[in-house]
Amino acid sequence: MFDSFLVRSDSLENVYDASGKAVGFKFGVRLSNYRGIYVSLVNDFYVCMDGEEFSTEDYCLELNGMPPRTMEELIKYPFEHWDLQDEAMLYVKKEGGLAPGMHSLDYLPSTMDAYGYQAHDDEWVVNPPKPGKGGGKQMRPCHFDLELQ
Amino acid sequence: MIKRGVSLYSYQQNEFFHTMTWKDELKEVANNLRGADGIEIISECTIPHYPMPPESFFFEWNNEIARWGLTPTTMDTYMDTLQFRDHVLTDAECAERLKYDIRLAKKMGFRNMRLCHNVPLKAVEIALPLAEELDIRLTNEVHAPSPIKPKRGVDWGETVARDIAFIQRTGTKHYGLQPDMGIFQNKPCRVMLAYALRAGLSKDDSFKAADEVLVKYDEIGEDREAFFAWGKEAYPDLFASRYASFMFRGASADPLDLYDIIPYIYCIHGKFYEMTEIPGKPGQYEDKSIMYPEVIGILADCGYDGYIDSEYEGQRSQQDMGYEGLPNEVEEVRRHHEMLSRLIAEADHKNKSKQ
Repeated sequence: MFDSFLVRSDSLENVYDASGKAVGFKFGVRLSNYRGIYVSLVNDFYVCMDGEEFSTEDYCLELNGMPPRTMEELIKYPFEHWDLQDEAMLYVKKEGGLAPGMHSLDYLPSTMDAYGYQAHDDEWVVNPPKPGKGGGKQMRPCHFDLELQ
Repeated sequence: MIKRGVSLYSYQQNEFFHTMTWKDELKEVANNLRGADGIEIISECTIPHYPMPPESFFFEWNNEIARWGLTPTTMDTYMDTLQFRDHVLTDAECAERLKYDIRLAKKMGFRNMRLCHNVPLKAVEIALPLAEELDIRLTNEVHAPSPIKPKRGVDWGETVARDIAFIQRTGTKHYGLQPDMGIFQNKPCRVMLAYALRAGLSKDDSFKAADEVLVKYDEIGEDREAFFAWGKEAYPDLFASRYASFMFRGASADPLDLYDIIPYIYCIHGKFYEMTEIPGKPGQYEDKSIMYPEVIGILADCGYDGYIDSEYEGQRSQQDMGYEGLPNEVEEVRRHHEMLSRLIAEADHKNKSKQ
């Protein structure tokens, strides 16, 4: 769902630490569902930038006016809601950030919003699914060509 | 007579792009849908900052509903069993969520609250006294692949029978069914087919291929083995994909089975995917994949006088082609109400001439 629009095309920026060193990049992301979700249900992302794959520990999500939170921290907010209408910024750790110019992104979010009890519930408490292996409405990665100014 | 309404689910793409707010959607329903007055919502989508909206929202909601003379029909709710992530929601927690949503539905003037599939009856039973006290009717959605008559070996194959047994055991008037028209989908829908085909084809080619598959589907008819044999040859990727199993499965339920459950139906989801002009009938529309004429005929024959709420879902399969490829939700819903109002009037006329 919303395949072409899950990442905002003009949102790619580098992220810098206090000393001005680039420590990663970030871009604006939207939900691939029609209702919004509890923040605790954000599970994971598949991010492949210029052929380099990133993983769960590399991500932080900034939304609802809160500072960026790691995937592990997000789990602790079961009553906070990410509304369908809102964009979040996905931070990805990468030493040195990205060079200016065009970048190629493959992106797939994984969320655990559900239609009631499912056979995999107990399993997912212990072993949450990897992006594309269940969890969310979007099953195949979406491609984006993004420019870093 | 059958009443008409709209689930604001139909305008989800406009919500996503901020091109309509719930207020715009109410105005559209009130002014442009030939007298439709029912409003159904997706709780989490329409209610800002769900589950804890500002108090001012309820005032605004009830004000706008009154302003346009609309009737809140059903509030659709969900059950996120992994909300707490460190354990699966217990029955007691599940019941508390139901009770919370029942109170929200009451504050917004809804008549029904739709539960999603796989909410245990143990939890429903805990929440039921509150639903009865506040006069909110809980409905379980009968959604594809659920049949109406019990069917072993199918997902949700015996849910309707289970629900009717529950209603009879408790004697409640506050738990019932909400069939989704998707259970009467007897043909694959073109936009979903084309989406699946775009895994390997360009935009134009995907629609051409979808049309070819549909022609073949009609030609081959009942012989599903022959159809799959053709498909595996012509479009191997599509027929090997996870889409194939549900796109070509045929209708989940027979419209005639509605006669068995009429007293338990509190509302109906008017699911549809694509409204196209009927050849030779300018200004008249149909969804070729769903048996609307048959179903509306039967509902009218039974004297069903509840709502059918439009639930447009075709947008989801057309959001991978950039802005230019996006369908127009407002136009699709208007076409849907051309069809609904025409079919309801025809069925009503037929009934009266019988008497």
